[in-house]
Amino acid sequence: MASRSAAIPIGHRFAAAARVSIPTQRLLWVVAGLALAVLPHLPHLALWTTSFAAAGAAVRIMIEVKQWPLPPRWLRILIACGALLGVLFTYRTLNGVEAGTALLVVMAGMKLLETRTVRDLTVIVFLAYFALFSAFLYNQELLRLPYMLLCAWLLTATLMRIHQSAADMPVREAVYLTGRMFLQALPLAALLFLFFPRLPGQFWAMPARSQATTGLSEEMSPGDVSELSLSGEIAFRAHFEAALPPPRERYWRGPVLHDFDGRTWRTARGGFIPQPLEIQGESYDYRVTLQPHQRRWIFPLDVVTGWHGRGISRSADFQLLSRDPIATMSSFELRSGTRYRIGGPLPQVMRNIDTRLPPQRNPRSIALAQSLRERSGSDAQFIEAVLAMFRDQDYFYTLEPPRLAADSIDDFLFNTRRGFCEHFASAFTVLARAAGIPARVVTGYQGGEFNPMGGYLIVRQSDAHAWSEVWLEERGWVRVDPTAAIAPERIESGIDAALSEGEPVPGRMLRASPVLSQLRLAWDAANTFWNNQVVEFGEPQQRWLLQRLSIDHPRWEYLGVALLVTLIGFFAILSSWLAWRFRPRPRDPVASVYDQLCAMLARRQMSRRPFEGPNDYLIRARGALPQLAAPLEEIRSLYVGLRYGPEPLDSALSRLKFLVGRLKV
Amino acid sequence: MNPAQTAPAENTNLAVGKRPCSRPGNRWGNRLIGILRGRIRAWARRRHGVDTDPVILSARRIYIVPSALGIAFALMLLLMFLGAMNYANNLALGLTFMLGALSLTVMHHCHRNLAGLRASAAASRPVFAGQRARFRIALENTARAVRHEITIANEEGSAPAVRLGAGERAILELELPAPRRGILKLEHFEIATRHPFGLFRAWAFLHMDLGCIVYPCPGARGLPPPPMETDTGGAQDLRRGEEDFAGLRSFHPGDSPKRIAWKNYAKEQGLHVKQYAGTAVTSHWFSWDSLPGMDVEARLSQLCRWIEDAHAAGHVYGVRMPVVDIPPNVGPAHRQRCLTALALFDPGTSRG
Repeated sequence: MASRSAAIPIGHRFAAAARVSIPTQRLLWVVAGLALAVLPHLPHLALWTTSFAAAGAAVRIMIEVKQWPLPPRWLRILIACGALLGVLFTYRTLNGVEAGTALLVVMAGMKLLETRTVRDLTVIVFLAYFALFSAFLYNQELLRLPYMLLCAWLLTATLMRIHQSAADMPVREAVYLTGRMFLQALPLAALLFLFFPRLPGQFWAMPARSQATTGLSEEMSPGDVSELSLSGEIAFRAHFEAALPPPRERYWRGPVLHDFDGRTWRTARGGFIPQPLEIQGESYDYRVTLQPHQRRWIFPLDVVTGWHGRGISRSADFQLLSRDPIATMSSFELRSGTRYRIGGPLPQVMRNIDTRLPPQRNPRSIALAQSLRERSGSDAQFIEAVLAMFRDQDYFYTLEPPRLAADSIDDFLFNTRRGFCEHFASAFTVLARAAGIPARVVTGYQGGEFNPMGGYLIVRQSDAHAWSEVWLEERGWVRVDPTAAIAPERIESGIDAALSEGEPVPGRMLRASPVLSQLRLAWDAANTFWNNQVVEFGEPQQRWLLQRLSIDHPRWEYLGVALLVTLIGFFAILSSWLAWRFRPRPRDPVASVYDQLCAMLARRQMSRRPFEGPNDYLIRARGALPQLAAPLEEIRSLYVGLRYGPEPLDSALSRLKFLVGRLKV
Repeated sequence: MNPAQTAPAENTNLAVGKRPCSRPGNRWGNRLIGILRGRIRAWARRRHGVDTDPVILSARRIYIVPSALGIAFALMLLLMFLGAMNYANNLALGLTFMLGALSLTVMHHCHRNLAGLRASAAASRPVFAGQRARFRIALENTARAVRHEITIANEEGSAPAVRLGAGERAILELELPAPRRGILKLEHFEIATRHPFGLFRAWAFLHMDLGCIVYPCPGARGLPPPPMETDTGGAQDLRRGEEDFAGLRSFHPGDSPKRIAWKNYAKEQGLHVKQYAGTAVTSHWFSWDSLPGMDVEARLSQLCRWIEDAHAAGHVYGVRMPVVDIPPNVGPAHRQRCLTALALFDPGTSRG
């Protein structure tokens, strides 16, 4: 203790005295506000950063309570450097949202350690505002908004309280006053939000956040899709302009896998030549809104034929890819067909890729395929025979398949016989390749839950699916879904119906109760509306809004002028409201009548002298103006009675008003 | 009322509401701001003239600028805005707009917090030279709404801010050093507020005719006062004398504690003062002429010292100055009269 005080330089003596000027309560409020603002960051910040800030707050509160001196300057500088290095070491950068947020939190903890003036407290409140702001960069969910508004409100109320130099303002008053100011600012903020021009694209590229997400990937091993199916997370939503495709046609195409190493399927790079595509049935126009999954796939319905947007391309195997990983919630306007023909001859390169099998792997399966092919008259008959095998023999569709040996297809086909869609798709594709038929595995999603309240399909991770495509000479690429053979319910009505009671399907309990199910759908509809109308509000919505205001060709100059005019109007309204609030207090009616009388008599050269009371004055006036003697006498007695007498009557006041009013004439 | 309260006990140099704001690093900046402020004030004075008493602050004489915190807040908002636009993050942008709109709203609140305020001069207590004069200014909120964090300030510091409820009145004090006797004028001061969040500072320059009487500094206690003189002249009030007890009268503020009938007070008969009758009054005459060979200020200081001592002792005293003669008397009003005569003494008249 003694050495600590000795370490404080002389110049800090005054500062130590000033420290007393922060009441403990204000410090606690600021710490609480900071904690509320940092709370949303807990899941994605390194634990030590938040612990550091919490420790800073705890130490500072202890200092306040125990009246210890603040830590000396060299120690603070040392801690600050350590914290900075810590952030640099943890995140390898100081640029970007994550490192920036971590730095912010650490800085707030640092600042707390040296807080002694109102200005320091204010800086912490500002840092807390920034923390609120950066929380939106992570997550823009519907529920975030009320939380953030509440936090901003409380922080601002705290700001008001720490700027009270007089006695502490009651919390309730500060919260009330600040809330009223927020409400007054709200219209202006809303106008700015709606009409402030949005710039397309980033003007300052920042490193993307690395975030572990669930979703389909470049490779598929046995158990991957079934594991994904355990997640009830939403993958994307699809709004259709017109009718929805029937459930059995809802195949959402994701990664197409070509390379097989005996266990794992992978995407292939290069070697693909576009083949002619011919759409036969009707097309569907729809909008897909993807949750961020940090990968490039956009999941279109079956085969996509039309798309908007820059940086989007369709590969030769009909994957739809975005140039950049999808890091934020994004919408895409798409057009797809579900009846199509991918014709022409199959280029040799592609045939080679899609018939390749790893040598010396899965020998029993290859033998089985070759014998089956010999017995079948054609490729199509072979496919039928394989599907019939899955259907008629004792193969089971389950979310919890046993683990497979190195030759996974052999093990699955001849031993375990229990599998999820990826097992069947994988086995089928291997069998087809072994029979000389070009085949590939397609992963994606199948199905989707229709939300009648929002009019869109919700596709979850639990709808993840894998199927096959085979090349038939006369028909081109044809989708073959072995899961449809073993568990047709999966395709028609989803995973719930296809699996037995004991299987751990996510959300099954929720779907079992109609009320909960309705609530869930309503909540999802609200979230979707939120996402489409607020989170994704941008240039198109602004253009639509302007068109509704019959501004067809908006020019930014006009918009600027309009914004300025709105601003002035807003201020005029605010000013007049404030002027009305601060209008003078009403005067006592008796006093104002008396003032009126005095003014009237003054005009007749009978001014009241400063020392004259009503009796003296009015008696003098009565003497000087004999023609008014009678009313003046009555006025005098009425006024004295009203002013000084007990329990004045209303009638006396109205009589007084009447008499004074008549004097005017 | 405690008669001891009237004794001169104002020698302590209380620093009320002084806000020491001199940090060594900011000295040049402060000086620059001070010069700028003086220029603006002079311009405001030309614009509004000398104020009447009372003065009601009209909206057009209230100036408002963002404070240092306000500028920091604006920079923070700018950063937030750039970040939100960069990430095309609508909620972050919404928060930024919300806070931006709030700060603009707050500006109006800050301005209106002052507009319509009524300021009037309250009597400032005289001080001795070398002390700090405290000018008292009464602020009245005649509006229906509450005004928060109102303060008055000059370059010496500012008074602690007050909250004025609807119809409430408060007296604020502003200090100014009073180095010389005479009338000290408070040439200018500001009524200011930073009310809602300290982001803006609104103020009005006031140039009211405010004066505070500064008595000469009491001299050292070296020179003995002139001996008491027994004055039997007819100039005296007949009812007052020092010879025979003539009865009791009720206490008035200013009566010498020596004459209070403490015995009667102890008997709970109320606070009374013993009165004496008789023509003879023993009193000091403090005369300008009795101090030859000293310079003007030293003379005044010595007279002041004698007056103070005599007042404290409850003696009767009179003052003879070149122009005015103040007959012997007692009490704070008398003391004030005598000291004021010293304070306002014009040495030019002593020769004439």
